Amino acid sequence: MIKIDVERCSGCRQCEVTCAFHHSEGQIAFHLARIRVVRAEEIGVDAPVTCQQCQERYCVQACPMEALKVGDCGEVLVDAEACVGCGQCEQACPIGAIHLVDEIPFVCDLCGGSPRCVATCTMGALSFEEGVSDTVSLEYVKAQLSGAEDTQEKARRYVDTLSHPMRETWLAKASTTQRER
Amino acid sequence: MFGYAGYWLEVNLTKGTTHKHSLDLDWAKTVIGGRMMNTWRMYEEASGDVDPLSPENTVYIGIGPLTGTLLPTSAYTTVSARSPLTGLIGDSAAGGHFGPELKFAGYDQIVIRGRATKPCYLLITDETVEIRNASDLWGKDIREASLAIREELNDIQVQVAAIGPAGENLVKYATIATSMAGRTFGRTGMGAVWGSKNLKAIVVRGHRPIGVADPQRFESICQKLSRRIVDHPEYAARHRVGTTMLVNSLNSLGILPTRHFQRGVCEYADEISGETLRERYVAKHKACYNCNIHCSRYIVTPVGEGEGPEFEPLCSYTSRIENRDLERALKSILYMNRMGLDAISSGETIAWAMECTEKGLLSAGDFDGMSLEFGNMDAVEEMLQSITYRKGVGDLFAEGTRALAEEYGRGTEKFAMHTKGLDIINGDPRGLKAYGLGYAVASRGGCHLRADPFFELTNRTEEAKARFGTEKAAMLYEEEGKPALVEYSERNCLLIDSLTICKNVGQSMEIMNPDAGAELLEAGTGIKFDVTQLSKTLSETRTMERKLNLRFGLDPKEDTLPRRFKEEGLPDGPAAGHVNHVDAMVKEFYRIKGWSEDGIPLDKIGEI
Repeated sequence: MIKIDVERCSGCRQCEVTCAFHHSEGQIAFHLARIRVVRAEEIGVDAPVTCQQCQERYCVQACPMEALKVGDCGEVLVDAEACVGCGQCEQACPIGAIHLVDEIPFVCDLCGGSPRCVATCTMGALSFEEGVSDTVSLEYVKAQLSGAEDTQEKARRYVDTLSHPMRETWLAKASTTQRER
Repeated sequence: MFGYAGYWLEVNLTKGTTHKHSLDLDWAKTVIGGRMMNTWRMYEEASGDVDPLSPENTVYIGIGPLTGTLLPTSAYTTVSARSPLTGLIGDSAAGGHFGPELKFAGYDQIVIRGRATKPCYLLITDETVEIRNASDLWGKDIREASLAIREELNDIQVQVAAIGPAGENLVKYATIATSMAGRTFGRTGMGAVWGSKNLKAIVVRGHRPIGVADPQRFESICQKLSRRIVDHPEYAARHRVGTTMLVNSLNSLGILPTRHFQRGVCEYADEISGETLRERYVAKHKACYNCNIHCSRYIVTPVGEGEGPEFEPLCSYTSRIENRDLERALKSILYMNRMGLDAISSGETIAWAMECTEKGLLSAGDFDGMSLEFGNMDAVEEMLQSITYRKGVGDLFAEGTRALAEEYGRGTEKFAMHTKGLDIINGDPRGLKAYGLGYAVASRGGCHLRADPFFELTNRTEEAKARFGTEKAAMLYEEEGKPALVEYSERNCLLIDSLTICKNVGQSMEIMNPDAGAELLEAGTGIKFDVTQLSKTLSETRTMERKLNLRFGLDPKEDTLPRRFKEEGLPDGPAAGHVNHVDAMVKEFYRIKGWSEDGIPLDKIGEI
């Protein structure tokens, strides 16, 4: 799986750019990427969100056509022939890591086992844990959603959750600096 | 079509109309993009007597064929118009994420004419262009306005470029900023031009995929460039503290503006340095689109939080005004960024007032009771607010240092540190000869980013001899060979501004040159770019800027530096005793450009 470190991400979007470029024959647009950088500028938080190969496998479970399967590296594989573009996988993922483009689900395929986004990240905000999957539970995230959120909103909420402790540390440090003065 | 989005957008705010035009590719391949594309259109359209704050002054917003591609740092956007601060060509570039999003929305350039009857913002997406009501946003600072727009559109990924109250109040050095006031179009008062048009913001969002002609070749060039950035000897320092590394490095060269350029050495540099800033207040790194340096930083302080600061604001609000309290500096910088004031120009008005106070030429009585003594941050904070809202004397300060000193007179003019009305940046030209020449001849006034001739600091003497005819071109404190260096550097910076990449990377870290530019453009657009032709266009555009400035009333005698830099030697430090003999270098620069000895392009002489 690809592990996300919110403390390191600078919001440069190199991961998205590289992902789109390599999955779309040299074309770039953010929605063509299988990884999405949430840039919460008003709180100084940035974080890439991509498939966490969760224990629950919400997307696979939700697919009525059995078009989604788990591959050898734990990645989600899409059978475009079987898929009818119903969007239930997109609806089911609690972190906005799978979305439809022209009725085809776009989700991280680990670039076949050597993810380019990880290689391109000069901040070390992404790391590839080879052979590790189905370790992250997203149940607590799912429980907080109403079901009406779109992928962008779900990703933002997930990032808010992930970054909350970091924000607390920042603010605590700032108030200590003030006391020392 | 590859690289280019293929369209430009014409907006008339008076009529409330918008038109999508196809980009003329023959024209585009000559003017490339960004600053060059804007300059050419301005040259074709602008009359010499247009009032910069009238509906007739047109705003040009340009990106280039490689913006938003795999090219590292292809993030920049240039906003151009006649400057209300200098009366000459005005333009300013910013990184962040606005430019690429504009490309994905489907445009290479936006041209804005006229004036809206009430506050508005422009929404540009791949599906629509709308002039929307911004009455509720008027009065909000840049951060608040950007957030309100994202809430209104229910989309946190829209990119917003907005003005603050300073722009609304037509402060002549008002800025436009993106990334929630984190990345700024700082210089020459483009924010005031937007304000005069009742234009609060431009908001972009796009989903139009942009491809390149030869993905494999393009990727391989980009990978090579990325590698060169990461392997550069300055990479670690630039990554760690970004441009704020210059506090310590300029201080060690004795050229850190201190006490309004009365000294070049600052004893408390350690207390205000980028390293100290990082240790105390930096929470994490930030970056522009597709950058692998991540030189920007997010600070969290007891007095607020936000992206930044870069070196220029940091120095303007510390050593330049003799303030050693870093936290007070950050408070002013955060305020200024949100209100939309240029750090260098606002800082210079205040530093000028402080020196005039010190010299006994002016006093608190001249400044509504504000005691503008060096280091008095209470007065600085009050003054920044007065400038933003043009309250009392703030109304005069909002006109810029040149106008301000002319208004006060009494010998204060000689302390106004500007060239052509644009305040001098933070780097003392007495110890930086080529930079000094660069400030003197820059087409937008006292600015370092037109030439950025860092090569004079390199000591690469053999290369200097081969390229510029003398080893001295690579030697600090030498003046010989510097005009040739500046002439080349200006062309290369124009190329960088037209490819819309970062100048720190392109110029200071030497990633870009005309050969690399031509190769990238060809792989990116599929159009044949000949390097000889490209270099010729860059040179011609520079002369075109000159002609445009002459049309706007430039007196070539303004190609100089403030008196202090030419006559008063630096008092102490490594550059002690140095002055800048800029006027002789300017003459040599004219000769290299093929202009007359009075600085007039030869084909223009008969017309004046």
